[in-house]
Amino acid sequence: MILDFDLRLKKGDFHLDAAAQVGGATAILGESGCGKTSLLHAIAGLSRAEGRVTVRGEVLQDTDAGIYLPAEKRHLGLVPQNGQLFPHLSVCKNLLFGIRGRDRRRQVLAGENFQGLVEALDLGHLLERSPRYLSGGERRRVALGRALLYQPRLLLLDEPTEGLDAERARCALAQVLQATRILDIPLLVVTHKVPEALALAHQVVVLNQGKVIASGRCSDILSRKGRVGVVDEHRNINVVHGTVVSHEPEDGETHISTDDGLQLAIPLDTDLRLGSEVVLSVDAEEVLLSTQSPEAISARNVFAERVREVWWEEGSAYIDTGRWMALLTARAARALEIREGTPLWLIVKAHSWRVLIG
Amino acid sequence: MDLWRIISFTLEVALASTAIILLPGLLLSWALSKSWPGKAVIEALVSVPLVIPPTAIGLVLLIALGPVSPVGRWLHETLGWEVAFTWRAVVLSCAVVSFPLFVRQARSALEEVDPAILGVARTLGRGPVACFVQVHAPLAWRGILAGLVLAFTRALGEFGATIVVAGNIPGQTQTLALALFQQIQVGREWEAMKLAAISTLIAVIALAWVELLTRSRDRAMSR
Repeated sequence: MILDFDLRLKKGDFHLDAAAQVGGATAILGESGCGKTSLLHAIAGLSRAEGRVTVRGEVLQDTDAGIYLPAEKRHLGLVPQNGQLFPHLSVCKNLLFGIRGRDRRRQVLAGENFQGLVEALDLGHLLERSPRYLSGGERRRVALGRALLYQPRLLLLDEPTEGLDAERARCALAQVLQATRILDIPLLVVTHKVPEALALAHQVVVLNQGKVIASGRCSDILSRKGRVGVVDEHRNINVVHGTVVSHEPEDGETHISTDDGLQLAIPLDTDLRLGSEVVLSVDAEEVLLSTQSPEAISARNVFAERVREVWWEEGSAYIDTGRWMALLTARAARALEIREGTPLWLIVKAHSWRVLIG
Repeated sequence: MDLWRIISFTLEVALASTAIILLPGLLLSWALSKSWPGKAVIEALVSVPLVIPPTAIGLVLLIALGPVSPVGRWLHETLGWEVAFTWRAVVLSCAVVSFPLFVRQARSALEEVDPAILGVARTLGRGPVACFVQVHAPLAWRGILAGLVLAFTRALGEFGATIVVAGNIPGQTQTLALALFQQIQVGREWEAMKLAAISTLIAVIALAWVELLTRSRDRAMSR
């Protein structure tokens, strides 16, 4: 168990009363104003909440037992929405802020972690610059590096792609993944975007009006059957994690090998580095189904699967194969006579994939 | 009238009073920039020297530190210090009248710093003192410096409290403001105008120096 919390906080009319136990990379998901950032700050010790917080087995607060570690003793790395860099310090000094002692800073500066992180976050050319002259994306990268170099027990990330366009957002998320892996630090990310939660986290805590309405594995909570009302948008997306295998300029394709062994073709994207990790998504509505092996077809991705579950809702049929979700009209599903156990071929056009991280 | 002696004494006294109020003023400004019960009472008390006649401040200091007062007697017996009608009384009266000006200015500068930045510093392992020294004060340095200059220039022109608690003794407690008053009293208007011009010049130089310092620091930060 990485994080276990049960917190109560009152701010004017707003009441936060949230409890959950999560392990691994976790997303706190909910609409704006539902209390996500308040919860993050309470966990970090920046807002005085009542209740209990345990991170990796260490009790950071238990107000019933009279325990309350202040923020400076919790050893959690916070990356706020707009970075909140120290404007009077250079980028390099911001990065090293969490490291105490001149000698220790020298060691870190010369160490592999620092060099690897600076490279992963593309900060090498910014080190001597003042934060006043950085773009929004650069500020976030510096803030991420600063929190990671502190080597916290848990990295707290507040809306990491807010205000970034799709292209920059996917790069930012790729850097988050890469950087957290370099230092092997678990992640708690606050977001209102379901694809972002699915891409970064394995577990999710869904907040609504200050209360936890669901928590557990992303695949359980954020599937259509999870029926968590506040996150209806993007509920029907399939997310796959994989690695960039090759670019084929003549074919106009980039090939991805997924973590569970599938080979995917997406439109050529040479910005994706060979060997780097990517997260792709495809909407359930974009997945075509065939009950016979399709031949002479233009779509580049065809997977043989078997139906695990079918359910009907408002004239639509949701077909779940365990790995994929497809959405058909009820009539289309009836015409194919789809039921549990039916063998299927799922067909996805290369252009239907979106790169969430990469 | 030894003009150079008066100028140097005035500068020394103004610098000493400004130095004296720096640390307690900063601590109080920091405390007042936070929310806590009873803060309004302390705020009102700090501002009292701004709204009562400076001569009344001088009177209070004279009663509190005069040779027959318990504090005055204790200072004399333990440290051998005479306060009333000495240079110490000049420094003290200057410090008392300029203290609220510094605190108001510094407090408002500290309040302007985004609390979220201070929160991040705390999550990176900085306790309240380290956070103040390494982040809060450096981010509010312009306002703190402006407050110090305001206090310094106020001390340069201090008259009412000083004349009551320190008198106007040439060569001992006479500052530019007191000397100016003396020259007017004896009808030497030209000498008085000269002293007024010198006081103005010193204040303008102090303000211009702060402006230059601020700009050069801005240039350094932009590189």
